[in-house]
Amino acid sequence: MKNSSESKFFTYRVINTLIMFIALVIVFSLFTPRNIFISVRNLASLGKLVPDLGVVALGIGILMVCGEFDLSISSTLPLCSYIFASALFGGLSPVWGFVLALLSGLALGFINGLIVVKTRMPSFIITLGTMMFWKGILYVWSRMMPTSIRTFIPTDSLFQKVLTGSIGPFFPVQTIWFVAFAIVLGIILHFHRFGNWIYATGDNQEAARAMGINTNLVKIICFMIVGVLCAFAGCMQSVRLGSFAATQGVGSELRAMAACVIGGTSLRGGIGSMMGVFLGILTLHILDNGLVLMRVPVFGVNAFIGLATIFFVLLNSYLDRKIK
Amino acid sequence: MKKSWIIGVIITVLVLTLGTMAFAQEKPGEGMYFRFVTHGGDDPFWAVVQQGAYDAAKELGCQVDFDLCGGDMSLQLKRFQEAVALKPDGIALVINDDVAWDKPVEDALAAGIPVVGINNDDTEGAAGNARLCYIGQSEKRAAYTLARKLFQEAESKGIDLSQAHVAMPVEVPGANYGVIRSSGILEAMQEFGITSYEIVDGGGLEMTTVESRETSYLLAHPETTFMIGLGGITTDRLTDSLKAAGYGPGEIIAGGFDTTPATLNGIREGYVTATVDQQQYLQGYFGVYVLFLHAKYGFTPNIDTGGYLVDSVEKIELIETLSPLHIR
Repeated sequence: MKNSSESKFFTYRVINTLIMFIALVIVFSLFTPRNIFISVRNLASLGKLVPDLGVVALGIGILMVCGEFDLSISSTLPLCSYIFASALFGGLSPVWGFVLALLSGLALGFINGLIVVKTRMPSFIITLGTMMFWKGILYVWSRMMPTSIRTFIPTDSLFQKVLTGSIGPFFPVQTIWFVAFAIVLGIILHFHRFGNWIYATGDNQEAARAMGINTNLVKIICFMIVGVLCAFAGCMQSVRLGSFAATQGVGSELRAMAACVIGGTSLRGGIGSMMGVFLGILTLHILDNGLVLMRVPVFGVNAFIGLATIFFVLLNSYLDRKIK
Repeated sequence: MKKSWIIGVIITVLVLTLGTMAFAQEKPGEGMYFRFVTHGGDDPFWAVVQQGAYDAAKELGCQVDFDLCGGDMSLQLKRFQEAVALKPDGIALVINDDVAWDKPVEDALAAGIPVVGINNDDTEGAAGNARLCYIGQSEKRAAYTLARKLFQEAESKGIDLSQAHVAMPVEVPGANYGVIRSSGILEAMQEFGITSYEIVDGGGLEMTTVESRETSYLLAHPETTFMIGLGGITTDRLTDSLKAAGYGPGEIIAGGFDTTPATLNGIREGYVTATVDQQQYLQGYFGVYVLFLHAKYGFTPNIDTGGYLVDSVEKIELIETLSPLHIR
């Protein structure tokens, strides 16, 4: 069984995304004015901004392999960010505020997972409900006011440098966090027993249960992974912005799912790869970035992202049929 | 001694009597009930409007309830019908559509319920909708004032405005606020002889997406002279986008709307020249007062609450003091 999840690390679905990714990089490198796509400034900007959604999307990828969705990330992320900001205002140090936010993310993920496995209702519906519930709580609690946290975490403080600083003049630390999360989650998904359980649960829950896998526990843990990653991304973003904003994470649930689908993750569960999700996130972002740099009218960019998502779903389902 | 003692007693009795009378006096709006039907919801803006309305209600002793419909037009129409059915002493309505509100407002007025517009008005004003009056920012005038400030700044730096390019990022392309604000900017552009402009899709309300779009745009369009955020989030992200694209303070003349912490910081650092504070607290506060004064004396004044340009450290400090109190 271990071999089966290792072999899913680099499938034909990943190869499709990789080919598209390389093709886009070549096209944008050659055809953007003054080759600004590969300019240090643009790459630094991508390295700083991609991880905000990327870190969360890595977790969503694992959850989709497990056969579930989490629409509530767009509420979990700003709620954890607000908990972080409130903790700072309450007198906690940034480190303890951060820990509190991460624990809150874990708890919110646990609640999602518990409701899904106990009610056996589709996670799509359950997390739609929790998304609206937590958003309501956040709006009432925060009164939707943006709150500056710069006085607690000044620019160039150690905490700021560790979370959102840069190495040298341009290389953003966020990139290191993003890659580190991808590697750790990739090891768990492809080279650890728990990864096998995730694939088995997403592929055929009944069969997995018959094999002795506690599928409920697997799902709950996957939801908790998403929750803690949301908290991490929320804190990372608010430190970068210097403030909490109630609109953090708006629309991230759909963009994260689009990135996973572009990366070859199946909407039905049991199929997907961390390498694919990682490439899917990068592809989604460079598509957006490259088109604007090529001076395509910005209103048309979303149309290309939509087309890319549909293209990858159709391509992968076609190849699935061919291979079978 | 005896005389001064008597005077003292008289003064004490008078103070106590008048004080008790004043205390016992009813507040002027007691028994009145007003309702706000708005499209607001998922932004901090409305928390401040509500604060203004509740403060006014407290002063007048009347009761106020708020409907926040989160941009859902059909829900807002339903809430309006429900509000009319409650027969309040007045309704403050956000008129965010030129057609949809025409008949409901006429029907409410015919039923004897006063309706005033707040925050958003019919683009034709009183000619387009029968509401009694409008309390809010004149979006076009505010945008025009802001643009003039930015263009004058460019002139003072000796920039040739005939070659200038204006980028206007907006969170929700096609939304009323962006359309009206951009028309105010276009009017100012005409005055200053600027012809090149582009309205840029900021990609929604998500901060990182907006910042990414603005940074990419700046890198791809080195001809950009002005960047004017048409909304609060596109303005909030200006400073970081300019930094990421390698521009120093003032190299691109930037401005926009609303007073988020990042925008105020941008003014402090010199990246943002000016931002418009809508003073939305007044939309709630005057909304209640106008409904009260209409109920009592039939007044229906139009009030322009906006267009307060924040362009100095002194103004920032004032806003930063009042912001935690939900007043600015």
